Formats: sequence, C-alpha cells, structure tokens
Amino acid sequence: MAVLSATYRRDLEIRRYPSLVYGLVPLVALVLQAWLPRVLGRFAWFDLPLVVTVYFALGRRSPIQGTFMGASMGLFEDALSHHAIGVNGIAKTVVGFLAASVGVRIDVENFTVRLLLSFLLSILASVIYVFVYRFLLGMELEWSWLIELFKAIGNSVIAVLTFPLLDRLQIRD
Amino acid sequence: MESFFVRYRNLVVLLAVLLAQIIGLAVQVRRIGDGRGKLDPGDGPGVRLIRLWANALVSPAERAIHGSKLGIGGLWQNYIDLRHVREQNQELQKTIDRLRLEQASMLEDARQGQRLQGLIGFQEKYIYKTVAAQVFGSSGSDQSRVFYIDKGAGEGLDRDMAVITPDGIVGKVRDVFPHSSQVLAINDPTSGAGVILGTTRIRGILRGNAAGQPEIVGILADNRIQPGERVLTSGGDQIFPRGLPVGTVEKVVRDPERDGFIIVAVKSSAHLDRLDEVLVVTSTEPRFSPADQHEIATSETLKGPEAAAIHDEQVREQQARDQQKASEMMAEHLPGLIDPNLPPDQQPLHDSSNPNPVTNPPRALHPDRFTPGIADGTTATDSTAPQEQTPKAAPEGKHPGQIGGSGKPSEKPTAKPASSAPAKAGQSNTPRRNP
Repeated sequence: MAVLSATYRRDLEIRRYPSLVYGLVPLVALVLQAWLPRVLGRFAWFDLPLVVTVYFALGRRSPIQGTFMGASMGLFEDALSHHAIGVNGIAKTVVGFLAASVGVRIDVENFTVRLLLSFLLSILASVIYVFVYRFLLGMELEWSWLIELFKAIGNSVIAVLTFPLLDRLQIRD
Repeated sequence: MESFFVRYRNLVVLLAVLLAQIIGLAVQVRRIGDGRGKLDPGDGPGVRLIRLWANALVSPAERAIHGSKLGIGGLWQNYIDLRHVREQNQELQKTIDRLRLEQASMLEDARQGQRLQGLIGFQEKYIYKTVAAQVFGSSGSDQSRVFYIDKGAGEGLDRDMAVITPDGIVGKVRDVFPHSSQVLAINDPTSGAGVILGTTRIRGILRGNAAGQPEIVGILADNRIQPGERVLTSGGDQIFPRGLPVGTVEKVVRDPERDGFIIVAVKSSAHLDRLDEVLVVTSTEPRFSPADQHEIATSETLKGPEAAAIHDEQVREQQARDQQKASEMMAEHLPGLIDPNLPPDQQPLHDSSNPNPVTNPPRALHPDRFTPGIADGTTATDSTAPQEQTPKAAPEGKHPGQIGGSGKPSEKPTAKPASSAPAKAGQSNTPRRNP
C-alpha cells in the first residue's frame, strides 16, 4: 500500500514542460556559462548547467532522465573546455541521478530544501570532479576549496532565484 | 534476470552511463612514466567531433549576444535599473536614457575604434603576418582558462599559433574550428611558454597557477632577480616569436615542492581578463612593408657596383704600394748609375769596365701590365703613356723602360726638369749606393 501511494504521489507530482523548454533552457545555461565569465571575470562563481540539471532532475523525478540530463550537460561543458571530455559528465551524471532520486522522496517545493539541495549537490559535483581528475585519471589539477565553496553558494542563490521562474514554464493541467 | 533489470534499471542506466564516460576518459588520457596521467594534446576524431558539436551549438548564440550587446548588463541598464526613475519622470528620463545610451554607445565605439587603431598600427608595423580576431566567449570554467575568437580555419588559423596583443602575449591557438578557434591563455596551468628575463637573461617556462596568475617555474634560486624586471619571450618554444613582451616580475617566492628552486610570479603585460581584440601570428616569415622592400631592393642594386668600385680602388692602392716597394728594393740592390762625387766623364755610366752596362732593355713583343715602364691602366703599345704621366721625366724618343729602371715612372714625378734621362732617373728615385 505504501509503495502504491508513493508511486501515485510520484506520478502526481511529475512536472511536464513544453519540448522547447527542454532544449532551450539547457542551451541558454551553456551559453551563459560560457559568456558570463567574460563579463564577471574571476567572480563567476556559479555553474548554470549544474543548476539546470538539478532543477529538471528534481522536477521530473526520474533518475534515468536526470542521469542523461546531467551527462549531456557535463559532456557539453567538457567539450567547451580543453580538458578531457567526461570529467564534468561523470560529476553531473551522479548529481542528476541523486537529485532525481531525492526528488521522489522529499518535497522539493520548499525554499530551504532547494537551497540546501543545490548547495550540497554543488559540493558533491566538485568532489567528484576532483576525485575523477586527480585520482581516477591521475592528472594534476590546481584548485581551491574556497572557490568551490563560493561556487556552491552561488549555485544555491541562483537556484533559489531561477527555480520559481522555471516553474512558470511547466505545463499545468 | 529480467526482473533484476526492471527493478534496478535506474542503477543499471547510471552505471552504464558512468562506464561509458570512464571508457571515454581512458581513451583520451594516457599514463606517462611516473604513473601520472596526461591528456593527449591532440584530440582524437571522436573527441574532436564532440568539441565541434559543442562549439557549433554554443558559439552562434554567444556571438549573437556579444555582437548585439544585449547581455545582462544591457538588460540591467535598460530596464531594471531605470524602472524606478521612469516612474518619477518618464518623459524626461526617456530622453536622458536615450542620450545616455547613445553616449555610452558612442563612447564604446570610440574606445573600440582606439583599440582597433592601436591594433592595426601594431599589426602594420609588426614584422610577422597576423590576423586580427575578436574574443567572444570563454570556457566558463575557472579551471580551464581558454577563450574563443571569431577567426578559424577559414581565415588561415591553425593549431599552436601565437595569440598576442600590442601589450604582450596572450596564449596559443589550441583548437581550430571552421570560423572560430579556441585559445589557451598563458595563465592556464597546462600552458607553457619559453621566456627569458630581460636583465639577468635567465630562461624559464611560463605557466599559470591555480589563481590564474602567470609564473615562471624551473628557475634555480638567484638573488639577481628583482621585482620589476621585464619578461620576454625566448622563442625557444617555437610558438611565440622571440622578444615579445610577456610582463614584469611581480615577486619571487621559493618553490615549496623543489628545494633550491624559485617561482617567479609575473604580472602579465596583456590584460588577460579583459581581452576584446587579439592578433594571431599566422606566419613567422618576416614581412616587410612596401617602403622597406623598396629600400632593400635599392640597397641590393647599389651594393654590387659600389662593392666592385671599392674593391678596384683597393686593388689599385695595393698594386701601387707593391710597385713602390719593389722599386725601392731594386734601387737598394742595383749598382748606382750616377756618383755625385765624380765628374760627369767619370760616371759609372761611361765606365767601360762596368760589369753591368746600362743597355736599353729589349722591347717586349707582347707587353702587358708587368712590362717595365707600362703604367697601370695604360696599354702596352702606348709608349707615350708614361711620358704623359711624367712629361718632365721621360724625354721624347726614349723607351719607357729607360726611365730610371724603376718600372714606376708615374709614382714620383719630379718637380724640376732634368738634363738627361738617367740623371733624372737617379734623382727621382731613392738615393743609390755606388757599387
């Protein structure tokens, strides 16, 4: 009975968006992520593709879709850099999967939950990135925990601001 | 078995996606000697295809934003920041806004014009062929300090071409797409440029650190390196032409990982975080302006005759010196023809006992310039030539060889007329010793 109710609740709260949104929003995130650092310089402490991944994973509540969304966003980010393609992909794949899995179980409409989830998943993405780069691939990577912390805070703030705007794009019955 | 995949399909999909990406990474990264991984600098066809797709997807939008200047800044200035003011005095503010925008636009255009003017001036004066390009995007990651420019393979760009500004070097082309290129900045940790310190002439490798500041590594501790010293490209990396400005030494710190070595932090000459227009060095063959080419051609044309004239003059002077020396030696060793202490009828010239009577030398059948009495530059058959050069030294009808026997009648023309040719010859030469 509990399983049935959970499934029912899950089906009830799955969000649907126009097809264009699935294509445009990630694209805008990628473009802005590539363009804004030119404007903001070294203060570009955010990762918009990660925010978008978390949003759609939480909204769709499908770990498989979250996985593919994270993988594609991460791979595109890697392709725009000169690093090996797949490092960001792995990090965001895990983040997408976890966000969708968490979205099934908790109420993601709550302001604090969104803030905390974005923060924690950003930190997790950074950890996975560093782990894959330094330990899995054995390559040298110079990075700073402080910057990763700022980035996680930036992602949380952006998530809190943009999630309500993106909520307006969903299809309502 | 089927129920297993159905039940754990989420995990199976996750693991499959992760595995695929790990395999992809393994293809790109290879182990080097010390067990560390190293990214293959040349992308494989598949990886390059993905980068091409990503670039094709993101670049047009990025260029559109950059070109139309409708970024977040524009949105802020034109709407959010002015909303409250517009409520107070809408009409007046509209006018002011329009004027401000026009002014800002004109100012920006003027600044851009100045920048481009400086860039073109540098490009014209610079000896190597360059292509001007505009920066329109970045990687979006502070761990990958690359940026994109709006020129690519279609404009003649290729990998590993140097990217510079009039202020200093910026980076090198890392990847080339049809109409855009990816440039690796010099402050990226994976970049490398051969540099030399301007005063101490110490060489090193420039790369970026985690904070995005260029630094020179691999230098032994040296007290001579002081802040403010200029840093130039050494040309040893075969990418950046030699002598381009890189920056100035900001500070010198000890290398925490290597004893005895130091790290020289460099303040970049080029504004790496505010790049708008750059130059890509497409050819390191020296390029000269039309004026320079004309001067070089003129110099080449004049060089031959002038050199020949100088050479001829030197040969003539040398021959003259040789002849002078030979005549002096002969004068020292040959018996004297005139003894100033004897009366004229007892001179050795009239002494029949003289074992070396003076006789007219036989005339050469084929005279040349070595024939006695033939001056340099005169023909052998022109027997009057010496007379013309020393009209008072050679009486008419005399053979040139009779004049003093020195073989150089024109070297020392006498000032006074001589009563006889031998007497004249004896006076015109160096003093002679009697036998």
